[in-house]
Amino acid sequence: MPSHVPHSSGLQRLIAQLAPLLIVCAVVFALPVLLNNDFLLNKVARYLVLGILTISLGLSWGFGGILNLGQAMSFGLGSYAMAMTLKLKTVPVHTGASGLPDFMVWNNVAHLPWFWEPFRSLSFAIAAGLIGPALVAAALGWFMFRGRVTGVYVSIITLATMVVINLVIIDQQSYTGGFNGITDLAQLELFGVAFDAYGRATYYLVASCVLLSLLVAFAFTKSKAGLIVQAIRDHESRVRYFGYDVALYQIFVFALSAAIAGLAGMLYTVVMEFASPTFLGVQLSLSVVVWCAVGGRQSLVGAFLGAVLVAGMQGALSESAAFLETWTLVMGALFVLVVLFLPKGLAGLAQAALRWTVQRRQAAGRDVAQGVGQTEGST
Amino acid sequence: MSSHLDLRGVSVSFNGFKALNALNMSVRKGELRCLIGPNGAGKTTALDIICGKVKPSAGTVSFDGTALQDLEEYEIARAGVGRKFQVPSVFRELSVSENLHVARARRTSVLGNLRWNIGNSGREDVERLAELVGLTEQLDRPAAYLSHGQTQWLEIGMLVAQDAELILMDEPTAGMTAQETRKTAELFARLKGRHTLIVVEHDMGFVKAIGDIISVMHMGQMLAEGTAAEVEAHPEVRRAYLGSGGISHA
Repeated sequence: MPSHVPHSSGLQRLIAQLAPLLIVCAVVFALPVLLNNDFLLNKVARYLVLGILTISLGLSWGFGGILNLGQAMSFGLGSYAMAMTLKLKTVPVHTGASGLPDFMVWNNVAHLPWFWEPFRSLSFAIAAGLIGPALVAAALGWFMFRGRVTGVYVSIITLATMVVINLVIIDQQSYTGGFNGITDLAQLELFGVAFDAYGRATYYLVASCVLLSLLVAFAFTKSKAGLIVQAIRDHESRVRYFGYDVALYQIFVFALSAAIAGLAGMLYTVVMEFASPTFLGVQLSLSVVVWCAVGGRQSLVGAFLGAVLVAGMQGALSESAAFLETWTLVMGALFVLVVLFLPKGLAGLAQAALRWTVQRRQAAGRDVAQGVGQTEGST
Repeated sequence: MSSHLDLRGVSVSFNGFKALNALNMSVRKGELRCLIGPNGAGKTTALDIICGKVKPSAGTVSFDGTALQDLEEYEIARAGVGRKFQVPSVFRELSVSENLHVARARRTSVLGNLRWNIGNSGREDVERLAELVGLTEQLDRPAAYLSHGQTQWLEIGMLVAQDAELILMDEPTAGMTAQETRKTAELFARLKGRHTLIVVEHDMGFVKAIGDIISVMHMGQMLAEGTAAEVEAHPEVRRAYLGSGGISHA
């Protein structure tokens, strides 16, 4: 039926676009079979979590054109939400009244503060880890995008906001654990499964969240709202004159990105077994930008792989004696090179290579056809 | 005759320069109005006022009884006003078909647009629009790769996709070949009646080909209104264009 032809071609295109995403996720899920080392698996899980964080930046930066230099803020808020609830589930060692966390006892806090109370519930903590960062981002976005703040000013405001929250957390030691963060956590238990940081269950939890984040982000970019967000990136005022409330779309993508970063933060606490102010530090936040640029900010899978590869390399370099002091220099050089020569990152390189191969094959096919035509003509 | 769009005593100044000085203009429904005038007469500013890009310091703009001067740009667009810019404004990194999809602003809310648009009626609509503006071959190409004339056509196609009641066109034929200009004139003739159009143009041949009534602006005010012949014979219009080789070479 002719009316079904465009439909099926749209479906084919969709499958072709989903293929890299599904292949990468299949590799991620298959990895534990090849890696029979719990220590290494935990390390990989860590890089996968950073990959989720980078997907979230790709969504707001690559698709929405909003360069959030404070992306780690959402990540940190998520990680603290998880750490708070896991802290309250520990078997008390140094406790005061009603299972007070150890660092509060050392700081002479007599009662559990009111904002800690709801974190006795794991469901509340998980909701808070997702919705909390989204709400903070939406509020910040409301001020910025309603006021038509754009470009570098958005980056400065997001970076500054993150630094402020970071300082507050460090300063309020008696409620947040201060500089030391929140340590000595209980294991996460969900639906009767205990998630040991070095266990397979944790790895598969992280892998499932990679798949989930990629699919949610992909679905959004393929929706009409996702298309409008990309149009805003290209030409903000043009979109406005079609009747779209540009600020609302920007706030939405900003908040969605923050929620995904919050999810990554919660997983990071599970994998690392603590939460720390460095999780919402400037260094991590800027690293995410480098990973995203290297992988390709306009490709979700690219951003994810960029994080896993570069963070993995970063980890390896910082452990070797030769690069202990200089690995940040290597990272900086990598960023400069990518920005100069690969504006679309590794994903752009892969796409160009794929296009080149297809064209060459087509050209070869034409040559063969011509050759056949010539021999037929000559006989 | 009830007027569709009404500008009353609209004034704007930029750093003391009065771009519009108590401008009055009214346009009937379904009319194609051409707006001409020497450089700096305030033609583009008049369009900016209507679509909300610039807020008037005095005066009112009413469209079908709605006061536009107090609304945000997106609210004015929702009230039925579309705008084509002098510098072609399209989404360069999106494909031609995606550009047209964005312009088909049937739903404007974020949540309403979270659904997917695979295989819906929009696709046929977009293909029809691409045919109308001669970009069928380019549907899947990024708009950045289009020629200048094609980019102009794409933006015109996007305005048709938007289906606004009132369409404001700022120099739609700039950079077009004679043939492209003629095709544009044909398209405008088709839009007339279904849409109300205000077209700012310098090309008098084009203006004569499409316009019913021509409004001539000078120094932020309305100088004259009438048919091409009336306007050209108008003594004040002749004086305004004096030294620039007459109205046809403006």
